[in-house]
Amino acid sequence: MPLGVDIPVKEVKRYMGYHGIAGVTPEIEAKINEAVERVSTMSHPRLLIKEFPVTVTEKTVTIHAGSEDVLLESESLCRNLSGCLRVLLLAATIGPSCDMLVRRASVTSAADASIYQACGAAAIESFLDSENDRLKREYEADGLYLRPRFSPGYGDLKLEHQKDWFRLLDISKQIGIELTDSLLMMPTKSVTAIIGIGGDVRRNGCSGCSGCNMRSTCEFSEGRS
Amino acid sequence: MGLRERLGKEWLFCDGGTGSILQGLGLKGGELPETWNLTKPDDIKALNRGYFEAGSNIVNTNTFGANRFKFDNVSEIVSAGVKICQQARKEAGRDNDAYVAIDVGPTGKLLEPMGDLSFNEAVDIFSEIIKAGYEAGGDLVLIETMSDSYEAKAAVVAAHEVCDLPVIVTTVYDESGKLLTGGSVEGTVAMLEGLKVDAIGINCGFGPKQMLPIAERLVACCSLPIVVNPNAGLPRTENGATVYDVDPEEFSQVMEEIAKLGVHVMGGCCGTTPDHISRMIGKVKLVPFTSPVKKQTTYVTSFADCVKIGRKPVIVGERINPTGKKKLQQALRDNNIDYILTEALKQEEAGAHVLDVNVGLPEINEPEMMESVILKIQSVTNLPLQIDTTNIEALERGMRIYNGKPMINSVNGKEENIKAVMPLVAKYGGVLVALPLDESGIPATSDGRIEIARRIYEAADSYGIPRKDIVIDGLAMTISSDPESAIATLDTVRRVRDEFSGHSILGVSNISFGLPARELVNSHFLTMAMQNGLSCAIINPCNGPMMASYRSYNALMNLDPNLGEFINAYKDYVAGTSASSGSAKASSASSGVVLTLAEAIERGVTGRASEAMKEALDSGRDSLEIINSELIPALDRVGKGFEAGTVFLPQLLMSADAAKAAFAVVKEAMADKPRNTKGQVILATVKGDIHDIGKNIVKVMLENYGYDVIDLGKDVPPEVIVDCAIENNIRVVGLSALMTTTVASMEETIKLLREKKPGTKVVVGGAVMTPEYADKIGADAYAKDAMATVRYCDSVFGE
Repeated sequence: MPLGVDIPVKEVKRYMGYHGIAGVTPEIEAKINEAVERVSTMSHPRLLIKEFPVTVTEKTVTIHAGSEDVLLESESLCRNLSGCLRVLLLAATIGPSCDMLVRRASVTSAADASIYQACGAAAIESFLDSENDRLKREYEADGLYLRPRFSPGYGDLKLEHQKDWFRLLDISKQIGIELTDSLLMMPTKSVTAIIGIGGDVRRNGCSGCSGCNMRSTCEFSEGRS
Repeated sequence: MGLRERLGKEWLFCDGGTGSILQGLGLKGGELPETWNLTKPDDIKALNRGYFEAGSNIVNTNTFGANRFKFDNVSEIVSAGVKICQQARKEAGRDNDAYVAIDVGPTGKLLEPMGDLSFNEAVDIFSEIIKAGYEAGGDLVLIETMSDSYEAKAAVVAAHEVCDLPVIVTTVYDESGKLLTGGSVEGTVAMLEGLKVDAIGINCGFGPKQMLPIAERLVACCSLPIVVNPNAGLPRTENGATVYDVDPEEFSQVMEEIAKLGVHVMGGCCGTTPDHISRMIGKVKLVPFTSPVKKQTTYVTSFADCVKIGRKPVIVGERINPTGKKKLQQALRDNNIDYILTEALKQEEAGAHVLDVNVGLPEINEPEMMESVILKIQSVTNLPLQIDTTNIEALERGMRIYNGKPMINSVNGKEENIKAVMPLVAKYGGVLVALPLDESGIPATSDGRIEIARRIYEAADSYGIPRKDIVIDGLAMTISSDPESAIATLDTVRRVRDEFSGHSILGVSNISFGLPARELVNSHFLTMAMQNGLSCAIINPCNGPMMASYRSYNALMNLDPNLGEFINAYKDYVAGTSASSGSAKASSASSGVVLTLAEAIERGVTGRASEAMKEALDSGRDSLEIINSELIPALDRVGKGFEAGTVFLPQLLMSADAAKAAFAVVKEAMADKPRNTKGQVILATVKGDIHDIGKNIVKVMLENYGYDVIDLGKDVPPEVIVDCAIENNIRVVGLSALMTTTVASMEETIKLLREKKPGTKVVVGGAVMTPEYADKIGADAYAKDAMATVRYCDSVFGE
């Protein structure tokens, strides 16, 4: 995988709290551009994917991983995966550099720290989106359709299941993300997710803001002006 | 024969994979393989025996993940693993030429400062495993599959502290030859050689083909025996199970190729079987064996950076040293680590390659400070550090906690000093600065200094410290008291190069002590010293003339390819102006419009804000009057705009940064007078949570509005917060949590506060917080952002 990652400036601004407005001063614009450049060249994106057979009922998803069955109890995930016989489990990170850039910026400037933070968030999302699109095309070529990706902690899927992802994918060893006692990932700009593989095109299920339990209070919620 | 006598003298072979074989025997996914040491010892014995019979000389015990995070009976599991492996060796008839390796894998936790496991706790965890294995009779310690050099260091330190068995370390690199934590092959090797392991290698990650280029790099830089243990190709998933594609024949062919590069121990990792190993041994044994070759390159490293000490001089930044620096002294007394970090980052931007760290002040606890400053500096910069102290305890604690192979400043020719310092360098590794002075003082001539240098080299030999890791200080002393001193120093530097092929270092600016226009003398002296072979210059990299000498020298001596560094630094240089600003770049004064203090703060122009504040103070105005009539109103206008939704967070933060810079000017001007504050507030991100950007923003805003903030950092246990509140009789505590999972520790903190220090006001915030949630966990107030926190504190402290 090549070093570096594309970071859409528009997304960086959204994470910084600009909701589609003008009024970004030239000083901030310059800072954003510098941060985007740095985070983008210093990041080392890594992705880990494995395909597993699943059994989906109304309330449970069972992942069949060789000799082990992993049970996920989550109605929102079940809605997302209904009808799927297989899933992709994935983990991705842009590496530890961005965390260091944020720590460095924190020493000297709160503004810089928040900009680097936003760049990192935009970077991991953008990396995942492009990998997600690539997978989508690959599967569509075989007549299969990918559901929107879903992460531990979304809806009623407990964050506790991070441990299952780490075990099933051997994430720490393969791409260097570690889980803290409080289930946070280090490097912080990392994502774990599940993607359903379905035989038909469907857009329902839990995706975007409508399925999120933070939608009423989230600053980044779509449709906020 | 012992393993140490054989390593690097003949072909030796490790074993292969474990996981896939145990799965074949019925190990369930999610089941911990090490439990089989107790429940199915015969299966484990068959596994070990298979490898002994295939010809492996080094077979791992089934203890890879046997640490206290997974087991509460670590000793029992490890001890059983060793006994089983010994039994297997006996049954295979290999008691005479094969060894039982106590297998040690990573803990699965990330170490501080990146993660939440402290270095010394990691050492403790590894000690427990290795001690059990040693007592059960293991023959060596094999530390493997490490993707973090820091964790590998913890395991090696543990092994050496527990026993005297040989230690082999193998790490996992990616295709680009980097560890997952960013370290390079060369840097990792330098650190592990310094730690005196017995062999160094690579395992897991990918198959033999992909490992070939990394094995080549290992051979090029490593002086010790080299171990190569690849997987049977790249892993692939089939129906949720992991499979490997390289069969024994193909595996053995590529391993034969790698053997010809000049490695010394070979085996396999995931997906390889006794068949892979025995075929490999058949082929590799026919390849002529070459012993390891001592390499002469000197590296100083951090976890991600690797600085070579050689022909191109290395800049060691001297700014983190309290001698003669009042502000740094004050920062050390106030435990103001941010000031030290700012100095570190400034020097890095200015072009330093290594940072000297000296925190010696009579009134502080130097060992503790050294440890904490090193940890903090390493969390914000990749630059390697030079640990600079005369306090042996501070030296040891710094070297222990350091991530990489540091420079050590210093040892001298006194016998007592050599006895105190050299054993530490022998244990932890490091590039050692040596001062050629002894019991009879500093020799005035180069003859005397060279003689002491010779004795120091000999002492290094006796401690097993390679001569390439000694850097002789030429001892620059001012020409104002001894007119011959520069000549003696330059002679010493030249003779270290010519007579010992050695490296040298100078505290350059000492040469001009007591003179006017010191930078003129210093910068010319630097050029002369480099011309005489100086390897390392301890200077202030923010000083323009010094860096001008340095960059010009490199350009002239063909040490700056395509003159890239020179051109980059001076492309905007205006002739006739002295290059007195360190970065050599033109200052960013924009388009002639001069902003007022208030405008600078509203627009968030940090440089101008501090300039304007200086001008105002210079014109004789009272600082409090400036703050109240200009600074605070400007900040308020931005704050109100933010609350009204017309100004956005980044702009608020830019203004806050600018105001902070202006305040810093005031603080400096009033350094000796007592400060006026509205009150003291504790801020902390609660235990388990490591998100602190929001909390830091609140801190900056509160400080700008006149509060004295005690920032306890992130991942702070409830007791620490409560104790601090009691000790300082705090009225308001601000808590931040970003995750639903960590709100629980917020609640716990509030409970403990209510119990131990009733009446303390608690204001909470963070992404998952809501007014309802805040109420539910018993907080006094919810603040949706930094401004809201300021308003709340104002209401409590009654403006």
